[in-house]
Amino acid sequence: MEFRWGVRNLRRHPFRTALSIAGIAVASAMLLDMVMLRGGLEASFADLLLVRGYQIRVTPKGTLPLDSEATLPDATGLVATIRSDPGVAGVAPLVATSIYGRRVAGGDSLVTLFGYGIDPRDQGLYQLLRGADLAADDSAGVLLSEASATALGAAIGDTVTLLGVLDPQMAAPAMERRLVVRGVVQWLYDYREQPSVGTVVPLMQRLARTEREDRVSVLLVKAKSDADVEPVVERLRTRLGGAEVNGVADLVRHFQDRMVYFRQLATILGSVSLLVTVLLIGTLLTITVNERLGEIATLRAIGVSRASIVKEVLVEGTALTVVGCALGVALGLVTARYLDEILTSFPGLPATFSFFVPRTPNVVTAILVTLLTGALAGLYPAWLAARAPIAPTLRAEAT
Amino acid sequence: MRRPLCLLVFSLLPLLAPSPAPAQGVPDIAVERRMAAELGLQVGDTLRLGVAPDSLDRLVRVAAIYEPAADPATVLRRELRLRMHLPDLAAMLGQPDRVDRFGVALEPGASADSAARALNQAAFGYRAYPSSRIASESSQTFRVVSRFHRAIAVITIVASAIFLLCIMLLKVEERRMDAAVMRFVGIRRRTIFLALLLEAAVVAVLGSVLGVVIAWASSAATNLYYQRFFDTKLVFSLLTPDIVRFSVLLSLVLGLAAGALAAWRLVRTKPMVLWGRG
Repeated sequence: MEFRWGVRNLRRHPFRTALSIAGIAVASAMLLDMVMLRGGLEASFADLLLVRGYQIRVTPKGTLPLDSEATLPDATGLVATIRSDPGVAGVAPLVATSIYGRRVAGGDSLVTLFGYGIDPRDQGLYQLLRGADLAADDSAGVLLSEASATALGAAIGDTVTLLGVLDPQMAAPAMERRLVVRGVVQWLYDYREQPSVGTVVPLMQRLARTEREDRVSVLLVKAKSDADVEPVVERLRTRLGGAEVNGVADLVRHFQDRMVYFRQLATILGSVSLLVTVLLIGTLLTITVNERLGEIATLRAIGVSRASIVKEVLVEGTALTVVGCALGVALGLVTARYLDEILTSFPGLPATFSFFVPRTPNVVTAILVTLLTGALAGLYPAWLAARAPIAPTLRAEAT
Repeated sequence: MRRPLCLLVFSLLPLLAPSPAPAQGVPDIAVERRMAAELGLQVGDTLRLGVAPDSLDRLVRVAAIYEPAADPATVLRRELRLRMHLPDLAAMLGQPDRVDRFGVALEPGASADSAARALNQAAFGYRAYPSSRIASESSQTFRVVSRFHRAIAVITIVASAIFLLCIMLLKVEERRMDAAVMRFVGIRRRTIFLALLLEAAVVAVLGSVLGVVIAWASSAATNLYYQRFFDTKLVFSLLTPDIVRFSVLLSLVLGLAAGALAAWRLVRTKPMVLWGRG
């Protein structure tokens, strides 16, 4: 009975009810977006790191992966040391450096490229889109991204020229190699339109002039199981004193520190959204109850219990919240896509990264918090309705 | 390949300790204030630096502690920085006579674009950019943040507008009985409408003033919090007269529009209905 009664009261003032629902919808949408932003940053980053199943990164001491141009010496020795750990399933060395390319069509101008040195047997950096992968000892082949293929004007099977460090005094590159394009790949950590190319590690080291010290930028390590990650990290930290060893959880923590602004912004705006919902529902129901005190007193006079009155007011608040929240979820998902498009245009951010991730737990959390808030906001007006004195109210209503 | 300065900074952490009086010919370095505070460094202290933790073979002396210019591009990275004389750093890196970049000062009146074009025509292994282009490129991040803030502001304004309309509607609806009595005693609809509109205007003005005060206080609190959090003098929240003008104007327009709409609905209703007997 209370449900039908509450809904009928809301329908008495359609304009007012519609406005309240619109307000709750916008507030819920904002709350959902902020919940997605807060949780999405970390989830998206962790997903990105784990996309090829490598749970550990080994980098130069004091640095994070590809955060600087620092490199690790004696890569072969390091790989052998890491592989000897009983919990390790695979190690992927990676060289990252700036190199240059010459357009297939010719001309004097050079294209600046991002060069990756990879071990095709054990790599966590790319997914093949077209053509063939490199063979382990393929020192005559190269992999391109869509962006670098466009920049070089090259297709699969073409021969491209890559140049290593340029020496302005000698007016000549340290090294120049002609390589056959084997395939087009998606480099998982590239930003949009990043012109990247990949070769086997020794060739990229020669282009970067780091082959003598056998330097690499990062080592990606795959543990045999998720349970092995922490013990492997601890053992590697002990064995590799000159290197930084981080599991995905450590890297997410570093990332959280860098993204503290967005996390705090999400918390503040989410709280403001909840406050707006409370104020909106609380104010609306309080004024509605005050308007209907005579009616409530009459009901009490004919024997309707206080509990029924309280339930009816709470039903009104909850009904407003449920409808507003449903609209808010739809609105929130739309605005999240728009906001994500803005934030993912950050320069240097991996193209596959997302700030707003619509995961079920995030959506459920936002809905539950909004519903709970809406129900609580109805408590004060419900209390007002329940304690209205019957006789004085009826007397005042009659005069 | 260029070695980052942060590596040097991290490398000295494990070997920081009180040191004996510096030897003659020890190179001087300048350490930023935050780093000096975190590591307990003072002018005259001697440190060992190196490019890797197992090769901290360069003895240096802290000659100065400096306050770096506040830079929003680096504030989130919280790196510790020090400054060395160029030859000392190049020698330590094993890359004498190599630099990352040059700054070129032009003669008065010379065009930076033309100079960069001329340098690039003869370039091999380097690229010249006008400072304005570098500034534009490096401010991309802040342009994105600014777009994000604008989008959030639009959502906030929509939410506020609905909230305001709702409150004004309820506020005016509270006056149903008053409006009914006024209509019964012969007061014209126009007069009642203007009276309700005036009330809405007063509420909007008071709300705007209170909003400006809250904005000023929250802006100050935001700056205080983040300046302490990041140990910087950067201003994180800027409340300018233009922003205040825009916000107050928007609040007044929205408040008056909402009040007018609510008052118009009220004066259109028959007095007996307003009295609850219709």
